[in-house]
Amino acid sequence: MTEPIIKVRGLHKYFGPLHVIHGVDLDVMPAEVVVIVGPSGGGKSTFLRCLNFLEEPSAGTIEIDHVEIGVRDTGAKHRQLIREIRQKAGMVFQQFNLFPHMTAMENVIEAPLTVKKLDRPAATAKAEKLLSWVGLSHKRDEYPSRLSGGQQQRVAIARALAMEPKIMLFDEPTSALDPELIGEVVEVMERLAHEGMTMLVVTHEIHFARDVADRVILMADGGWVEMGPPGQFFTEPKEERTRQFLAHIL
Amino acid sequence: MAGRPDDTAAADRVTGASRTALILVAATAALSLLFAIQYYLGGPIRLPVISEVLSVAVSPDQRSIAAGSQDGMVRVWNMPAAFSSAILAEFDLARAPTWPVQGLTGHRGAVIELVYEPESGDLISVDSQGEVRFWDPAQGKPTRSMTIDGPVSDVDFSRDLSTMASVGTDNRVALWSVETGQLIGRLGSPASARWAVALSGDGVLIAAGMGSHIQVWDAQTGTLVWELAGNCESQALETEDECLQDDKSWLAHTKAVTALAFSPDGALLASGSADTTVLFWNIQTGKVASSSEGHWGPITSLQFDPEGRAVLSTGADNVLKTLRLPGGKSSGTYGGHFGAVERATWGPLDTMLVSASSDGTIRVWETANQYTIHMEWSRLGLQRVWGRTLAGWMLVSGILGLVAAWGLSRIERWSHILAMALFMLGPIVVIGLPLFEVLGYPLVTVTRLRISWPLILLAVWYTALLVALMREPVALLYEAPRSARLAEQLQASQRTIRLRFGVYGVGVWIGLLVLLFTVLRRFKLDVAFMGHFFSFIMGGASITLYISAASIALAVVLALLGALGRLSRNPIANGISSFYISLIRGTPLLVQIFVWYLGLPQLGIRLEAELAGILALGVNYGAYMTEVFRAGIQAIGKGQHEAAHALGMTRGQTFRRIVLPQAFRIVIPPIGNEFIAMMKDSSLVYVMGVWELTFRANKVGRQNFRAMETFLIAAAFYWVLTVAFQFLQGKLETRMARGERK
Repeated sequence: MTEPIIKVRGLHKYFGPLHVIHGVDLDVMPAEVVVIVGPSGGGKSTFLRCLNFLEEPSAGTIEIDHVEIGVRDTGAKHRQLIREIRQKAGMVFQQFNLFPHMTAMENVIEAPLTVKKLDRPAATAKAEKLLSWVGLSHKRDEYPSRLSGGQQQRVAIARALAMEPKIMLFDEPTSALDPELIGEVVEVMERLAHEGMTMLVVTHEIHFARDVADRVILMADGGWVEMGPPGQFFTEPKEERTRQFLAHIL
Repeated sequence: MAGRPDDTAAADRVTGASRTALILVAATAALSLLFAIQYYLGGPIRLPVISEVLSVAVSPDQRSIAAGSQDGMVRVWNMPAAFSSAILAEFDLARAPTWPVQGLTGHRGAVIELVYEPESGDLISVDSQGEVRFWDPAQGKPTRSMTIDGPVSDVDFSRDLSTMASVGTDNRVALWSVETGQLIGRLGSPASARWAVALSGDGVLIAAGMGSHIQVWDAQTGTLVWELAGNCESQALETEDECLQDDKSWLAHTKAVTALAFSPDGALLASGSADTTVLFWNIQTGKVASSSEGHWGPITSLQFDPEGRAVLSTGADNVLKTLRLPGGKSSGTYGGHFGAVERATWGPLDTMLVSASSDGTIRVWETANQYTIHMEWSRLGLQRVWGRTLAGWMLVSGILGLVAAWGLSRIERWSHILAMALFMLGPIVVIGLPLFEVLGYPLVTVTRLRISWPLILLAVWYTALLVALMREPVALLYEAPRSARLAEQLQASQRTIRLRFGVYGVGVWIGLLVLLFTVLRRFKLDVAFMGHFFSFIMGGASITLYISAASIALAVVLALLGALGRLSRNPIANGISSFYISLIRGTPLLVQIFVWYLGLPQLGIRLEAELAGILALGVNYGAYMTEVFRAGIQAIGKGQHEAAHALGMTRGQTFRRIVLPQAFRIVIPPIGNEFIAMMKDSSLVYVMGVWELTFRANKVGRQNFRAMETFLIAAAFYWVLTVAFQFLQGKLETRMARGERK
């Protein structure tokens, strides 16, 4: 039995007096694809953003690829650990968040150059491969404003992969896309899953959850409602809350 | 216009409104060409223009003024007996009655010299072709005439009118007998440029310019008495180098001698030059006795009063001056002519002067207040240059107009643009400038209309033409041919709309510039003065540029640090930053400049004035720009920070690589604004005595009571600089905007 690559224990998150995440635990195995679904305001995105400390968790522990961080620490050591975790966990945002003043290529090589201190030829060669992998080598010199939403999101995935992360966090990657552009992004995510990437995906794409996920989690009101393989989750959910949710979206 | 894109090519026909426009363009072009041709062939149809008055004389009985002009006519005005130099309170030059005038015709060349015979009251006139005519003004006919070798650029008579000296355009100096018309002798070599000649009252000495030197001969023997080249104000020093080393002035002309006159007693020779100075030479010693500055343009003529106590000088700077002797100090300045003053003389009465100008008028002045008390026109009209300009414009616009008409008939898009540009931009200058100029003449409205009616007619014509060209059906025909495919039509229409916008924009700019120019001219600015000190004032431009550039660089650095401080969660950095902004924005810049320049030396820190200025301006604008930078940085979305952080970038890397480049793009326009403001505020360092633009303008302006003139020069420079900077800023914005949605 291999070790889980993500270990979350007793994670709490408060926004002021608002208790957003009520102490959840999660183990994710290497190469496992976990999809989190759930109603808006249920804490899915917050949970994801806590994993790489874009939101500072209020309590609990997070361990990613043997790097463990105690929450509510401060200081240089703590910040260094956070950066280590962030390099292990690539993130893809709902709004893409490409750097608008850089071309697709520059977006992809930026972090390898500044963070990993790679030399430019090496970074460029790697970025070429990644862009071609997401099917955008012909757009390498375009600025994000000249790309469609689907293309931007694919560049964003390439940008995250350029840091050679151990896991990938997807925060509603298709929610800001026009319906006909969703497919091209989902297709890239599927290929990524097939290549053995550990993925934690917050999404409303039920097809992706059903076809690609190893495990589906329903999150509502800051906690897990139900967790299980997609076959069981979608066809014979145990919880009433899950049935209600599935009735709404299917 | 009705018609769909799928209509046949038959839709592209010049019909209706387009045909009217085409006919108007063709007719305008053809008529323009006809006008130009008849003008250059010497035809009769031309703008009413003045004739430049080149010479003037007052009759011995002090009742008549004779003036000779460019058109070869001698006009004699008879002054009413009641006319006096007393100015009425309600005196209005425009409404003053004109005097009876008598025209003496016959000269073929411009009349350059007029002299009254003191005993008989006969009038002698000399024209530029070398013809000398003797008139009895009562009869209005010449009694006799003689011819000397022409063409002639200057002549002078001895007091008894027995001999006459001339200098030709071939630079030869000659002496003539007025009785017989015989050549007495030639003097000097024609090697270098000679513009002026003078004969002493007794006819003994002849002086003529030779470049910036003056040669003086004995008229009887033809021997060279002096070659006057200049000397040091301290007579002991021989050479110019020694003189300047001793910090003394070297008295000499630096440009061509353009006017010469002997004093009545023959002891002094006055010389005027294109370098704007007048020198008085002692003929006994050959040294400069005194010098006089005060004109801002080349000297055109000099005339001693009969007692030798004063000299009248006229200049291309549109003024005449009286210079008191000895010493040559200016004792009166007479301004009002709107062209170069060519000649002036004493009279008609004791307290009057009369001047002749290339603006086509003579003016009578009273000497107590130096006011114009009478004015007569050679011919009422516009300045001559406008006649020539209009003819040139007609020729060019005629040819281009025909080309445009040809294109219009073939439905060429360029021809429509050409026609619009041609008939909008040209008339604004060619008609607008002279029309506005006439508004400045001291004339009643009816008379102004009499001069300018052809221009008004032309303006109406061109306006009608433009309206016809710009009507929508016409524009549509040329912008988007119906026969083209819809996509092409739309593209063509887009392009042409942009082009038309440009044409109109340029038109409006030129029109407003003409208007501004005209308004400024009505300020009665001393243009010659402005020209004279232009380069001195502009000498401060580099300092202004240097201080502005250095200050803005400092300000940008400070603003960046300030903005970081303001955004910092570190209370010390935040406190320092907010204190800096509060203090600097809350106190006047002028006070800050004094603190830097006068306060710091108390602490033993002594700064150069320029450095203090740069520090004061940089620190001041840094505070203002801090807020700009802060806003620019805060405008970068949270998502950008998160994306960078998620990639493992530190806060410093995120700021440098992601936030700052985007913030810079946002702050460029407001920073440009600040820079423009700073360029003008940099003039405040003049309080520390830095010789920058405004300081120089102020200095020269106050010394000569011409502050408006000098400050306008400085203002024009700032404007030009601002326009240039805006252009560069536009380029920079385009460069930085890469990645921005276009």
